[in-house]
Amino acid sequence: MRLVRRETPLKGGQVRAFAAGVVIALVLGAILLVSTGHNPAEVYAKMLDASLGSPRGWSATLTRAVPLGLAGLAVAVAGSMGLWNIGAEGQLIAGAIGAAWVARFGGDWNGFVLITAMLLGAVVGGALIALGPALARARLGVNEIITTLMLNEVAIRVVRYLVNGPWKDPEGNNFPVAPELPPQSALPGFFERANIGVLIAAAVIGAVGFYSARSAWGYELKIAGSSAKAAEYVGISLKAKILTVLVLSGAIAGLAGGIELTGSSTRLVEGVGGGFGFAGIIVAALALMRPSGVAAVAVAFGAVQIGGGAIQTLGVPASIAGILQALILFGALGAAVLTNYRVVVK
Amino acid sequence: MLGENGAGKTTLMNVLAGVYLPDEGTVSLDGVEHQFNKPADAIAAGVGMVHQEFRLIPTFSVAENVVLGSAPTLVAKRAIEDEVAALAERFGLATEPGRQIWQLSMGERQRVEILKALWRDAKVLILDEPTAVLTPNEAAELGRITSAMADDGRSIIFISHKLDEVKEFCDEATVLRGGKTVAGSLSVADLDAGAMAELMVGQATDVSQRRSRTSEIGNQVCSVTDMMVHDLHQRAVVNGVSLTVAEGEIVGIAGVAGNGQRPLADAIAGLVKLTSGTVTLAGTDLSTSQPSARNAAGLAYVPEDRIGVGLAPKMNVTENAMMRAYRKLSSGSLIDRDKARANGERLVSEFNVKVGQMDSPIAALSGGNLQRLLVGRELDNEPKVLIAAQPTRGLDVQGVAAIQRILLAQAADGLGILLISEDLEELFALSDRLLVMHEGKVVAEVDPDTATRSEVGRAMAGA
Repeated sequence: MRLVRRETPLKGGQVRAFAAGVVIALVLGAILLVSTGHNPAEVYAKMLDASLGSPRGWSATLTRAVPLGLAGLAVAVAGSMGLWNIGAEGQLIAGAIGAAWVARFGGDWNGFVLITAMLLGAVVGGALIALGPALARARLGVNEIITTLMLNEVAIRVVRYLVNGPWKDPEGNNFPVAPELPPQSALPGFFERANIGVLIAAAVIGAVGFYSARSAWGYELKIAGSSAKAAEYVGISLKAKILTVLVLSGAIAGLAGGIELTGSSTRLVEGVGGGFGFAGIIVAALALMRPSGVAAVAVAFGAVQIGGGAIQTLGVPASIAGILQALILFGALGAAVLTNYRVVVK
Repeated sequence: MLGENGAGKTTLMNVLAGVYLPDEGTVSLDGVEHQFNKPADAIAAGVGMVHQEFRLIPTFSVAENVVLGSAPTLVAKRAIEDEVAALAERFGLATEPGRQIWQLSMGERQRVEILKALWRDAKVLILDEPTAVLTPNEAAELGRITSAMADDGRSIIFISHKLDEVKEFCDEATVLRGGKTVAGSLSVADLDAGAMAELMVGQATDVSQRRSRTSEIGNQVCSVTDMMVHDLHQRAVVNGVSLTVAEGEIVGIAGVAGNGQRPLADAIAGLVKLTSGTVTLAGTDLSTSQPSARNAAGLAYVPEDRIGVGLAPKMNVTENAMMRAYRKLSSGSLIDRDKARANGERLVSEFNVKVGQMDSPIAALSGGNLQRLLVGRELDNEPKVLIAAQPTRGLDVQGVAAIQRILLAQAADGLGILLISEDLEELFALSDRLLVMHEGKVVAEVDPDTATRSEVGRAMAGA
């Protein structure tokens, strides 16, 4: 048995592959559940119900999809021109730091102004931390995978320093946390447990997805991603493109951090990144690095996470729930190979 | 081993080195027949090859590269460096065994490749166009090394298309053309360059294939003056070229690959920077303009690499068809999809490009269809001058004819064409004037109506 590359990718293959991968994963997961003494039907029903079975479930799923989708968009925008932004996690943290920094001055501003300023701070924070790798890549050809990856570690340590040092809450019982954010900085609700962060993310993902699919800018990006030499031949400035794309990518991931801070937490803490930046790489890969495909993948990914969390109430251990989530993602990613390759049995 | 590009020199030597398996025929060393199923077999039998693209690991040291694959299990770094240094000294190869490959010049890297072969005790050493990457001083140094090896009783096969080198380096020459031996084991001392050139390029072309000129040649429209271009290693790859193209004129450029044709074309089109000199199109100096500005001024370019430069491999037919026009097909910042599709469909039908679907990637198209799409797109904007680099290379007979017809028709309509080709027949058939490039310079200009192939071949070989 071997894999043979298809001349053209399978039409609609990504959706079919995703479905096939999920089915395979559910079968494997069922074996796992039975062998650990659980009823797979019950567990799967609970997963589905908790994530997509009710408005409340949807609100949780969509809330989770916000940072996943934005981080995925950040990675995909860079990926569509062949750049790898592995630093979405760090950019997300930098965004949260930027937003928290704005909040330190805006305690008595009105909610709308404060939230807007905080989200702008988040965008700037993410863009700034991406600027270094962007400049290094554009001007010196330094591999952006390494630089963005390393800056994750820097961002994690900076936030640790801040909440243990200068920004430490004096009334925090010595916990490493920043002071509570002003109450008016919380994002207004949307429905059930979801806040308007869902709408902001949907607008950003939609706009960037549409613009990169339909604009001359997105077209140039695609040429550059297809062949750097072809881009030069047409007269596209690769340096300018690399710079704008990586900074934009950082800004989007930074926005995710800002929404997480204003929407889902009350103060800056060490774990503010939540691993969403890394998960964003998987989201972008599943969306085949197409910004327009990120939203659907993020919602599906969010549902798997929320559902995986919910089944623990049935007595399924967290480790088994984690394995189930991993199986589903692994299956979907693995099956994606079949859109570009077909299996030949010989 | 002498021959034009594509004569089969490298392929034949790859068989000897165990890289390719022959369909028929045998390889014998010292009268013993061998079958080399893999390069390791050839190495074991005493055949070493230095390929044009070096097979070295940039972050390993010289010594590590030399012993790689044949080192003892436990490597004492110092001991091996000493051994490699001793070997290098024996053959007079200046090298520093402890340095890493990426720090070395191309000449030094080549010496590492030679050391690799000597380390494996190669009795027959194949050098594939070894001087292509060398400076003149390094080439002279290589000459000393090869004679030291010959004096040591080793055989050297020197692949080249440069006559002067063959005369300088070799005792005997075998000439290949079109995959066949046209002359074997000639004594170099008895041969003159003219005879060798004639063997390389073959008989005079059929005169009836000359195009009949249907239009008058007009005013000069493009001129290149004293162009200098340097590569990354600071070698002058285009070395003071001046040329002109007039309306309706086809100016051919002949030359063995790697003698500056590609950087010349790229520099005219704006893809590489000129060190000095000027490029003028219809009276406007474009020497420092961006590629897009040159295109807008009426310069079209069909580059040598169709896929990867002229066309973007992962994109579909529609997207590739609008690479020059996408700004015009946009309203505001958005590309009008209907217009883009219409643009692609128009080009496809006008230039008879056979495509499955407009939205399938161009990788699915055949060479001839790719080239018609590329040429069609470049001609779409009514350019004043077209640079066509190797426009028919790799195409089948009909594909060649189709592209040549298009070029002739466009020239009849007043387009100036700079035709860069390795196919002498094509150059003789299409050109109004024929320039010959050798080592970055235009070394000859001939009238294709009166010149002979061997005259051009000699100039190509620098004789």
